[in-house]
Amino acid sequence: MKRSEKFRQANREAKITCFATLAVIIFWILAGFGLSGSDMVILDTPVWVLGGCIASWLFAVLVSWWLANYVIQDVDMEESTAAKGGNE
Amino acid sequence: MGNFMNLAPAILFLAALLYISYWVQQQSSEARSSNFVKDYFIGGRSLGGFVLAMTTVATYSSVSTFVGGPGVAWQIGYGWLYMAIVQAVVIFLVMGVFGKKISLIARDIDAVTVIDIIRARYKSDLLANMAAVFIVAFFCATMVAQFVGAAKLFEAVTGYSYITGLTMFGIIVVIYTTIGGFKGVAITDAICAVAMIIGMSILFYCMLDKAGGYSAIMAHFRASDPAMLEPLSRGKMPVSLYISQWLLVGVCTLALPQSVVRSISYKDTKALRQAIIIGTIVIGAMTIIATWVGVLCKGVLTNPDLAAYGGSVDNIMPRTIVSVMSPFWAGVVIIGPIAATISTVSSLLLTSSSSIIKDVYMRHLEKSGRNLSNDGVKRLSMIFTILLGFGIYLISIAPPSVIWKINMFAFGGLETAFFWVMIFGLFWHKANSTGAVCAMFGGVVAYCVTMALGFRVFSLHQITIGISTSLLFFLIGNAMGKMPDIETLKLFFPDKYEND
Repeated sequence: MKRSEKFRQANREAKITCFATLAVIIFWILAGFGLSGSDMVILDTPVWVLGGCIASWLFAVLVSWWLANYVIQDVDMEESTAAKGGNE
Repeated sequence: MGNFMNLAPAILFLAALLYISYWVQQQSSEARSSNFVKDYFIGGRSLGGFVLAMTTVATYSSVSTFVGGPGVAWQIGYGWLYMAIVQAVVIFLVMGVFGKKISLIARDIDAVTVIDIIRARYKSDLLANMAAVFIVAFFCATMVAQFVGAAKLFEAVTGYSYITGLTMFGIIVVIYTTIGGFKGVAITDAICAVAMIIGMSILFYCMLDKAGGYSAIMAHFRASDPAMLEPLSRGKMPVSLYISQWLLVGVCTLALPQSVVRSISYKDTKALRQAIIIGTIVIGAMTIIATWVGVLCKGVLTNPDLAAYGGSVDNIMPRTIVSVMSPFWAGVVIIGPIAATISTVSSLLLTSSSSIIKDVYMRHLEKSGRNLSNDGVKRLSMIFTILLGFGIYLISIAPPSVIWKINMFAFGGLETAFFWVMIFGLFWHKANSTGAVCAMFGGVVAYCVTMALGFRVFSLHQITIGISTSLLFFLIGNAMGKMPDIETLKLFFPDKYEND
């Protein structure tokens, strides 16, 4: 991969990471504040606590897994040094 | 007076860390004899996924994750736990946004610190020196605060004096940071992170046991303390506080130099991808366990009046530990907060030391045409690290009040200083040094002044003022400055300026 392509790819990954963060925030609002009106209790715990804390964390883990496996591509980090003539 | 049983686990733990950093030093002696700075300050860019994740998490989670935070959770209830979950995003955010790009650039210019990157991007010694000053001032205050918090906790839990605790882990962290360098810090951080989780899990279990089980605590909340079960906690946890915390401990942590420097240190993108997942799992688990302990210990410390517990939320966790555990297990659990403290201090100490030695002093020599031998750099870096560390230790024995003031500004101040400088520097090709200098200086001043005056907008934390002022100053300054030169643009934005 050319250096310019690596950077273009890195920019794309950074942008998607920002949207992913936004998605977690939205999930967190819906699963916490969104459920806080409900009186439902599961395992002695109000359902908004399970949604806003446990489920939001699991959702963040899911998002990180998606980012790591489907968004962030492996690139050869050393090659770009060689292309510049090397500093080592 | 304490007995030796509750001191033994911590002593063993600290001795193990000391041995590990000695071992790391032995392992890297060859690498250090050829390029000391690169091995000592960045670990030769060799971190794998697990260690990268754990060191980033351990640096981020401090003594307040285990003492201050849970103490407030005791007061507010589940609302505080709900808020604390924001921290689940911070690992993938910093690594996903900066991780790859900064690492590509760092390898091209052989950068070792965040300031190296900033200097290469903006070509401004004024900006680089200002960044070094902010890093050292804010980090030193934070380190003192960490030491004091952990030593107080140690005193309350073990019965040994404040100075005994401080000396024990203070001296050891300084020594192992000095000899182990970045790699030593990273590996000991990983062990500390594991110790934090184990310690908190034991405490969680003992506390539930003592309080008669989870159901009993929840029934107590429903019957006599329903605010604990509401997200806004009957006014104690307003929406403005949620927004403030989302910025302060969530999104704005993106540019903290102690986190970003970890993105220069990994081996390959596979390590980065692993660290994103492991880091998100671990930071979430750690936050949930520690903060949940804080919420539920209201079932043990049931008096709603904080005055009954010495009038400070910082007393809640030590009192919980003492009341639910035997001295030996209390001694084991205290390793958690101590680990959190020393893993934060070690990283900050090394970053401060690199700022002064590498970014200011060596740069100064370079400009006047002199060069330091590899051995000279080695001696200087290690001596400086140990002197700075002992200085922090001495100040922590009787911290002057100005330290508390700086510490109060520290977290948000660093975020304000680096947020736009880093983001625009890496993602906006028109960003120039005039804009960056204005943003860093103007933002920090606006933030500190409004903090000192207690001035808020819409009752939001002053970080909002710092960040927006900094943005405004950047845009104004940028309009007055010159475009970066073509070499810089080719280095940082090859996708726009290089037709290879």
